[in-house]
Amino acid sequence: MDLSVKIGKAKFSNPVTVASGTFEYIKDYCSISDLKKLGALTPKTVTLYAQQGNPSPRIVEIPSGMINAIGIENEGIDAFISGRLVEFKKLGVPLIISVSGKTETEFKMLAEKLNKPKGLSAIELNLSCPNLKKKSLVAQDPKATYSIVKAVKRISKLPVIAKLTPNVGDITVIAKAAQEAGADGISMINTFSGLVIDTKTRKSAIGNFTGGVSGPAIRPMAVNMVYNVAQKVSIPIIGMGGIMTADDALQFIIAGATMVAVGTANFIEPKAPLEVLRGIKEYMKKNKLNNLKQLRGSLVR
Amino acid sequence: MYSFMYKNQYKAKIVSNEKLTAKLYRMSLDAGKITEKVVPGQFIHIRINDTLKPFFRRPFSIYRAKNNIEILYEVVGDGTRMLSSKKNGEVVDVIGPLGKGFSLPSKKIKQVIMIGGGVGVAPFLALSDELKKIKCEQVLLYGGRTKEHIFNMKEYKANGCKVSITTDDGSVGIKGRVSKLYSKINTDPERTFIYTCGPKPMMASVKEFAQKHGIDGQVSCEEVMACGVGACKGCSIDTSKGYKTVCFDGPVFNIKDIKF
Repeated sequence: MDLSVKIGKAKFSNPVTVASGTFEYIKDYCSISDLKKLGALTPKTVTLYAQQGNPSPRIVEIPSGMINAIGIENEGIDAFISGRLVEFKKLGVPLIISVSGKTETEFKMLAEKLNKPKGLSAIELNLSCPNLKKKSLVAQDPKATYSIVKAVKRISKLPVIAKLTPNVGDITVIAKAAQEAGADGISMINTFSGLVIDTKTRKSAIGNFTGGVSGPAIRPMAVNMVYNVAQKVSIPIIGMGGIMTADDALQFIIAGATMVAVGTANFIEPKAPLEVLRGIKEYMKKNKLNNLKQLRGSLVR
Repeated sequence: MYSFMYKNQYKAKIVSNEKLTAKLYRMSLDAGKITEKVVPGQFIHIRINDTLKPFFRRPFSIYRAKNNIEILYEVVGDGTRMLSSKKNGEVVDVIGPLGKGFSLPSKKIKQVIMIGGGVGVAPFLALSDELKKIKCEQVLLYGGRTKEHIFNMKEYKANGCKVSITTDDGSVGIKGRVSKLYSKINTDPERTFIYTCGPKPMMASVKEFAQKHGIDGQVSCEEVMACGVGACKGCSIDTSKGYKTVCFDGPVFNIKDIKF
């Protein structure tokens, strides 16, 4: 059974990864032999400089999901490269490195810095994090998306993946702009903007006021967006948004995704990515499929 | 075989789920040999149902780790309400022990004070068991809102712990906040060490008292958690050493470092 997939020149033995910000490799806790089974790992988004993140509360549970406004708490790219990345690399699992800049220059500097470490598979541009206080997001503007993807493509030695926000009128317009700029792949979707109000205090339940909604609550919208984008672009899509089970992941693949990322589920059920992988294999066996290509985009209408 | 992503994730059978008062429950879980690994102050992260409700796991301080892993919990929302209806023999999915627990006092410490507010007393029986082993004098100052938060503390007393109780309404023990009991504390900073866990205003008052007398101590913090393992940064709190995750860097911190 051939589960291998490609994004640009990056090869992965299977289509299952984790969504950025939802997985941390902790030596004391993780079963390394299990981790090695995943197609790729995607560490939490890294920024040029260290960020302490948003005030608490940062997360709230909602029916079938959660809302978060973490604010990309991270140690900055230099400390990441000399610290956590070294540990991640020891696992021998392909790595997709998620980065976010405040400006195009920052994105270029991040790409430059990620040209140095050996053995990375791809760079993912987080163009869509809705939590930092800005008027709009890069991935809400096709021109800004084009410009940043193009700039990074000129510099980076790695395949470039653009991660898109669902908080737009027509996500296919943004996806096309990323493809025209030379993106090797598209990650979709990031979280939906949301607000939870504490009726006792009549204040937002989140320290940052608004947050991003994730989890199974957003899955049908995510699948629909992946399907629509897959009709309009030819580059591979990493589909994500509320994947808890193999059946959820299969929906994304049938809608046209090349890879799938398990996100919020990692918090609830850390073995979810492994069960997703196992379930995809079982489904293919049962349906007598020997190559993932036979399944991808096979939605019947 | 695809098993578990984490080494310390397992299915635990409920040995007992006892209603102690109108609000408080005590659950005992068969965690096998993992029980031996527990450091007082650590927690377990329980997936209450294998459905999406409640969505998050729920973190619980480990109350005791003798033969089983025990938790003490208050019914406050949907998750704990569902947990309270679980029957003996049912199974829940557990990750843990997780986080950094209490460090035991140095040899020169003669008196250990545990100050608990409400269900904040939850990490202290395991600590009391350890303090008994090192033959340290121990005192528990416990404040509950009403008699619904007060339960039999014979196990502390069996460990030689002196227990004093307050309730806000005076229905049990002394009427008032637990701060009324601070007069029982030996304020020699060379010989006294404080552990506290409970509502933030209470821990803030303990910090103020400890700093006034130069007494060292540790606090066990609580925040809403998603992952419980340091991945999501959802439970980060502002400390004097920058943002720290309650689940991985804590839940136990030095009392000096926490801003209440």
